[in-house]
Amino acid sequence: MMLTTANGLRTWLDQLSKAHDLVAPCDVQGHVLYRPVKPGDEVLLEYERPEMSAKQYLLPDTEVVLRVQQHGKRLTLLENLSERSQVLFGIRPCDAHGLAVIDALFLEEAPVDRIYRHHRERTTLVGLACPEMWEGCFCTSVGGGPNDATHLDVLLWKADGGYAVRAITEKGAALLQDLPAEAHPDASPPRVADVEPVPVTPPEAWPALFKDRMWQRHGERCLSCRICTYVCPTCRCFDVVDRLADTEPGVTCIERIRVWDACTSTNYRRVAGGHNPRATKPDRLRNRFFCKFCYYPEDFGVTGCVGCGRCIASCPVDIDITEIMRDVAERSST
Amino acid sequence: MPIDRALTDALRDRARLLLEDDRVDCVIGYETSPRGGARPAFIYDSGEVDRLIWSDACVHNLVTYLHDKKKPPKRGQPPPRVAIVVKPCDSRALNVLLAEQQIDREQLFTIGVACTGVRGADGELDGRCTRCSDRLPVVYDVLLGEPPDVEPVNDEYDQLEEIESLDPSQRLGFWLREFDRCIRCYACRQVCPGCYCTTCMFERDDGLWVDIGIELPQKHIFHLGRALHLAGRCVECDECERVCPMDLPLSLLNRRVVKEVEGLFGHRAGREEVPSPLLFELGEEGSPI
Repeated sequence: MMLTTANGLRTWLDQLSKAHDLVAPCDVQGHVLYRPVKPGDEVLLEYERPEMSAKQYLLPDTEVVLRVQQHGKRLTLLENLSERSQVLFGIRPCDAHGLAVIDALFLEEAPVDRIYRHHRERTTLVGLACPEMWEGCFCTSVGGGPNDATHLDVLLWKADGGYAVRAITEKGAALLQDLPAEAHPDASPPRVADVEPVPVTPPEAWPALFKDRMWQRHGERCLSCRICTYVCPTCRCFDVVDRLADTEPGVTCIERIRVWDACTSTNYRRVAGGHNPRATKPDRLRNRFFCKFCYYPEDFGVTGCVGCGRCIASCPVDIDITEIMRDVAERSST
Repeated sequence: MPIDRALTDALRDRARLLLEDDRVDCVIGYETSPRGGARPAFIYDSGEVDRLIWSDACVHNLVTYLHDKKKPPKRGQPPPRVAIVVKPCDSRALNVLLAEQQIDREQLFTIGVACTGVRGADGELDGRCTRCSDRLPVVYDVLLGEPPDVEPVNDEYDQLEEIESLDPSQRLGFWLREFDRCIRCYACRQVCPGCYCTTCMFERDDGLWVDIGIELPQKHIFHLGRALHLAGRCVECDECERVCPMDLPLSLLNRRVVKEVEGLFGHRAGREEVPSPLLFELGEEGSPI
């Protein structure tokens, strides 16, 4: 284990930003968000849970996955994926946990999502342990923790005299070679006060609640916006469309883009002919919860929620995932 | 944000009566949120009316939920009869929907509340309330609470001065910086009582003007387009701004259009049950309208 100072970290980050695509928590007009940083940009070292998860740097909200160019009779197909390595600095343990959940679908089941794998392989995850659990946080109820290093390459935490640094993987150790730091006797991150546990009902108990009236009660309030799915570290649904792209004269270019989609939105499940099997808000809210706690664990072996609490903090009508989990637990035990 | 005991009791009594007498099928009001404030609540059973509350945390414009009540629950049945709690700003949205024939007045029982303004989680009076003089709803079947004695304010669009003083390129810069934070979650559109198109033009599969990409040009055109679609229809409830997870100052955009419409047509949306004059009034050739 090593110890470095805030200045040491900043020097290191400056170097990292030259050699890699560096992403770090920034103050964006009053909002804490992960943003690409260039040398000299201000990186936050003390910050609460960023409002969006880090998934957008592995599964971008909008990504050109293919370009088709036509010059006369010749067609050219181009993929344009960055070959640079990427470092996500200062992510929270729940962000890394969220990526592990996405891996279960995109990497661990065939067919592998090639583009996601490309980004995953070029990325090193440097986490900063959470000094506390914030409004809505319940990571400790779903297998995570504010100090959890499991899915990270490097874990940092605030310690006396600076920041303690621990390499978790070889990839992480390689990144730390240029960090100005001194050796430090091995220590553990400080304990963080836990919150009241939230019950997680096992997948097999969920189907019995499919027709429960609770979905009406919670779902009717929903606005069918996309906030909860977009801030979520594990929601990974996307849509794909082709669009005409700007190009030089004489060349036609079509871009295929993949863009985040949200099961909470009205049109998500609409099919040809206009039928919508999840036509109402309660239908859609129920699906979101069944996906996280029943379908996803049954199909891919992991729970689709890492307890980051972002959806709780950002829902404009106070739909609270922990309230619903408690309701489910209570109903399935009676 | 303490609960207003007297108003809450009156609200519960009224809701109980309406449900017990089978005057309505559902009461849309507010309940205590697990996060401390208030949140929308749907009451179908007179045994549950004690969930209802009134406090200055009742920020939500519930009129938007009436769009879910337009259709009958089952084919062949009449649409549900609904009682709804409205503040003055919410009631203006109701007028817009009535004028646009989106909801049948006979379906509704409107519980108006006398309003002294609502407050966000920070305890501060909402921006919309600092420039609002309406203490009583413009539409109601029953009024709860006494008309409060509050100094009226004159809405002079003061907060627009700063942005209007910028030159066009600075103004564009300001807005692009704001739009850049947008995540295209559509919360502003979803919460808006005036945004009820079955298929939003910004979400068409065959959209000519804007694709589904979450990028600056699409966000730019979405927000400008939405503001214009609400010209003469926006009631300034500022719900779009409240729900925005990225705090885009959307009320500035909407109020710029409100000011323009008021200047040209002398119309403020929802004050009366009339449709937007932009849809029906033609000026003489050469006139600004």
